[in-house]
Amino acid sequence: MTGSSSPPSPALTLPAPRARGGWRLPPAFGLATPATLFVLIALIGPLLLMFRYSLNRFVPGQMMVEALTLANYAKFFGDSFYQEVLGTTVWVSALSTLLCLVAGFPVAYFLVRQASPVWKGRLLLLVILPLLMGNAVRTAAWMVILGDKGLFNAVIGVIGISPVKLMYTPTAVVIGLVSVLLPFMIVTLQSVLEGIDANLESAAASLGAGHLTTLWRVVLPLALPGILAGTLLCFILSMNAYAPPVLIGGPSFHMMAPTVYQQVAKAMNWPFGAALAFVLMAVTLVLTTSANILVQRRYRRWSE
Amino acid sequence: MGLVSINRIYAAISAVVMAFVLLPLVAVVWVSFFSNRILSFPATGYTFDWYVRAWAQDSFRNGFITSVETALVAVVISLVLGVPASLALVRYRFPGRDAIQTLLLSPMVVPGIVGGAALFMAFIELEIILDMDISGSLPGLFIAHGLIALPWTIRLVTAALVGMSPSYEEAAQSLGAGRITTFFRVTLPIIKPGIVAAALFSFVISFIDLEKSIFLVGPGRTTLQIALVSYLEWNLDSTVAAVATVQILIIGVLLVASDRYAKLSRAF
Repeated sequence: MTGSSSPPSPALTLPAPRARGGWRLPPAFGLATPATLFVLIALIGPLLLMFRYSLNRFVPGQMMVEALTLANYAKFFGDSFYQEVLGTTVWVSALSTLLCLVAGFPVAYFLVRQASPVWKGRLLLLVILPLLMGNAVRTAAWMVILGDKGLFNAVIGVIGISPVKLMYTPTAVVIGLVSVLLPFMIVTLQSVLEGIDANLESAAASLGAGHLTTLWRVVLPLALPGILAGTLLCFILSMNAYAPPVLIGGPSFHMMAPTVYQQVAKAMNWPFGAALAFVLMAVTLVLTTSANILVQRRYRRWSE
Repeated sequence: MGLVSINRIYAAISAVVMAFVLLPLVAVVWVSFFSNRILSFPATGYTFDWYVRAWAQDSFRNGFITSVETALVAVVISLVLGVPASLALVRYRFPGRDAIQTLLLSPMVVPGIVGGAALFMAFIELEIILDMDISGSLPGLFIAHGLIALPWTIRLVTAALVGMSPSYEEAAQSLGAGRITTFFRVTLPIIKPGIVAAALFSFVISFIDLEKSIFLVGPGRTTLQIALVSYLEWNLDSTVAAVATVQILIIGVLLVASDRYAKLSRAF
């Protein structure tokens, strides 16, 4: 505990400085309790309630009948339509995340190692601005670009290529998702690379390592925790994306988040909607945790 | 490969990626000035008409007002709850501190659509018990958006507190200042940049939220993002682009302003 041994206080009547880091229950609890209660009431409580609902039975016309059944989960795992929805969600998310990593790393590296401080600040703002544009606006923009009479087709039309059907295809959804997620990846990777001493790279280079070798043997192992953080963030966000699949993917393209919304708000089948939400959360959790464990094992081997 | 050519490769890749990231932004601003009746390329001329039309459209105007109101309340909720909580997390050691930190940051991790659905169900349940209208009401929206903003505020304010030496507070207290005086006269002025950044950031995060609000809006109580999405499901014209441009402008200004106070990249 740092600072708990305060310098010997002068023998005056001033109150002695309070020890830092001691066990001071009351003030800390008083400060943290309102926020804690708020999160418990507005998030954890409703999640528990929804989990309980997912065990209820849905009777058309009556909405929900109290029960203790796994029927909703069984319905999900027994129905090939929903498995396909989950499958699509996972592969679209994995692909988008991978593309973000491949495209984001060079930008982050450029920002940290090569851009001048002024340009770094400006470029970072330019990365964060689209990030905070909102999914609705960004998706609208991609509709403008990818539509049948959109910018992309207009541009290739000038060169003489016939229009391509892009809207309502999985490709369009992946493009939209990558543009949503890329700024998150760049910002996360940038902050990790920032913490890696550039001298390590110079040292590797002076010992004869080529640039790619240095990246692979020096930068990558050190940046791994951050790369993992960025990758998981992008994956989670894309697993739960709503606007891109609905608006760019079209009515016959199904991902999990819109399906949850459809079941809960439109079909009013709460038990099944709740089960879907928990399947989505569980799958995301299992995939991200196993990625975490896998990378950590690798990381340990590297750092030995 | 020489060092210079490696640098060039990075610069070139970065330029391409940045162009991809910024393309939607540029496209949408450009299109908002097209005078084409039906959206197509190239432009037949340029006009400001779409901005007038967008404001004349009830769903966009009311949505904008609701969104600003909601975002302001979210800022207040997240600061009132988040600043004391950050203080507790950074300045004190207590049992369960890590658990509470995880809990307070969890609204960021729980998917918006899942949290939104859960809150919606809880509100309906409460409505039945209390015989009151909550879902689709403004207070319901305020609670959801306070929850969205809280973890970001905690992140930015804790970062500011970690960067501030506790010896300033110790000095004030050793001179006889009480805890509350110390907070308002010493701590607050020092971490002010972090708090301003947290407020601006909370505003933006709430303003652009879509997934969590989608369950909680009702007739006449729609946020701008929901209004945009429901419009886009049936139409695509320059009205949306005009609304989007205004939103980009507002967020851009807020972003540049908050970046003056604190490095925003620290929030992620």
